[in-house]
Amino acid sequence: MDVLTSHSKETGTVETRALPTSAFLARTNPPDGLVATEGRSVQDVIAFSPVKWLGVSGGLGTVAIVTFMVCLGFGTEAISFPQVASLLIQGVIAEGGAQDNTQSIILWQVRVPRVLLAFMVGGSLAAVGASLQALLRNPLADPYVIGISSGAALGAAVAILFGVGLSVFGLSVLPFCAFLGALVSLFIVYRIAVSYRSFSIHTLLLGGVVLNAIFSALILFLTSLADPYKASGMYAWLMGSLTGPDFQTVIVLAVYLVLGVGVLVLQARSLNLLTLGEEAARSLGVEVERVKRVIFAASALLTGSVVAFSGLIGFVGLIVPHAVRLVFGADHRLLLIASGIVGGTFLMVADTVARTLLSPTEIPVGVVTALVGGPIFLYLLVQQRRRIVS
Amino acid sequence: MIQHRETPDHPPLKLTGVTFGFGRTETAVRSPVLKNVSLMVGSGEVLGILGPNGSGKSTLLKILMRILVPQQGTIEWFGQPPDAFSQADIAQHVAFVPQETQQAFPFTINEMVLMGRYPHHGRTWGLGWEGSHDRAVAMQAMRDLDVAHLGTRLITNVSGGERQRAVIARALAQEPEVLLLDEPTAFLDLHHQLDIARIIRRLNRERGLTVVLVSHDLNLASQYCDRVLLLREGEIVTVGSPEEVIAAASLESVYGCSVLVDQHPQSGRPRVTLPV
Repeated sequence: MDVLTSHSKETGTVETRALPTSAFLARTNPPDGLVATEGRSVQDVIAFSPVKWLGVSGGLGTVAIVTFMVCLGFGTEAISFPQVASLLIQGVIAEGGAQDNTQSIILWQVRVPRVLLAFMVGGSLAAVGASLQALLRNPLADPYVIGISSGAALGAAVAILFGVGLSVFGLSVLPFCAFLGALVSLFIVYRIAVSYRSFSIHTLLLGGVVLNAIFSALILFLTSLADPYKASGMYAWLMGSLTGPDFQTVIVLAVYLVLGVGVLVLQARSLNLLTLGEEAARSLGVEVERVKRVIFAASALLTGSVVAFSGLIGFVGLIVPHAVRLVFGADHRLLLIASGIVGGTFLMVADTVARTLLSPTEIPVGVVTALVGGPIFLYLLVQQRRRIVS
Repeated sequence: MIQHRETPDHPPLKLTGVTFGFGRTETAVRSPVLKNVSLMVGSGEVLGILGPNGSGKSTLLKILMRILVPQQGTIEWFGQPPDAFSQADIAQHVAFVPQETQQAFPFTINEMVLMGRYPHHGRTWGLGWEGSHDRAVAMQAMRDLDVAHLGTRLITNVSGGERQRAVIARALAQEPEVLLLDEPTAFLDLHHQLDIARIIRRLNRERGLTVVLVSHDLNLASQYCDRVLLLREGEIVTVGSPEEVIAAASLESVYGCSVLVDQHPQSGRPRVTLPV
């Protein structure tokens, strides 16, 4: 028995075996090469994952819809949940709702666009966060923390302050500049991440901090050149805000975001393999360079459009994928969808808090997410360090 | 696609005059990691690649997997030139087990092994759920490596030996004809070293799997390889049976220190020990 206990301490695996005795026998007298598997809870088949996928995304989707309706009820004019439901249904039937009903106007013209925007922005940030974490093999990556968002913000700030022609071929220049900014900073961050061959979480984070500092300085420099009226608007936007979108804006943004998230989800299997490292992924048949280009472009598109419309909203891309991974596992086919839905739900709630807590004054939603996400980030950082030390 | 089954005369892997270096082409050719390496790996053999640190062992293995592409020379997989197929085509026939698998993400061992089915899905876009055949192949690979009972455990929470077995199971799930292993027994204790070595030999004998392994462990190579290759500063010094290559003279010239070589009491193969 003494032998058995010391052996279980050494391998740490005996607790998973149904009959420790047989494991012990197998160990002392192994047949050539392979160990007998009798007497252990060996699985017969590997579970078929689409069942789990449908269940989880359906469940989370339902929660998101209920949260959406609850958030619609909050505001200076409170609307009860049944009232929200009936106004929504009426609105869908009558295309935009009755124009003579104050509640209906508030609901359809103010709250629905705003809460939808919050959902889309939160969902996109979470999906980008999950993808970047896989690409950089770093569970602490986040578009805000590693400086992608501030790159996009710099691009947008250049467009706003220099008032570059507002649209080209009917497309707004602002998101395009933000996209370019995001792409450039993503490229720099990636170079930093791969220039160290070892798996270093902290190098990347340090690089992100410095990149953030440089971009912020440039944005502040540009802002100081602008006239005071423009500058105060810039500051509000930089802190992250989902204020006052109209339906048109939300629909334009939805096109970009659905496109970007769709591309990421279609690369989910390749992302799974990229978490093993580029060489291992290549050895398993992934065309690494092509996949990387696709992920870069989609992430920059998402970050760029989100930042252009809502400024800097941090930590959603970090804490949401982290939590989802803990609960539902690391498979990106599920992780990306689930993170998208949970991230959207999280930001709907955060924005509702931001606009109602000190009503009628609004807190920037970026402040709320940073106050929630920042401490969680620090906690995770300490945990990571513990894992490395131990 | 690789048409190797119609052309059984071709060796699985063939390198001719391969020179490889890191960096841009001019600097790479001026200070190469591998110099003019020619090598043939025969079907069903176990080939060991030996040599001191920095002699180019791992680089050679990565070139065989097309993870790295040499500046000069040609490689043939089953008698076909490299531009005849995609990376996924190669991965259907050749599998690679890296030196160390650092995994920061909590995949289950089931999910990990199923990743080996990736090259068999024609398109790499889409969710690509693994069908019943994929799952059956993965299950068999897990049984072969004795990790089937760990299927739902997280790869981040198992011991080093179990993780290495899971990674080899993933390679087997690719259904390869050739298995490339980089230091398969490094970081493992004695028991697990023996386990892995026996599993490799068994896969070779029972299924005719061709194996190329890089190792620092001269005794492991001596016991389990049909042929061994000695590298020094990117050049092949000798290739041959363990008896021919693992001899005091050649080892001393390559490693630059004196060694004692006698016979293993059970197998009669060369055994290397360090002098006092």
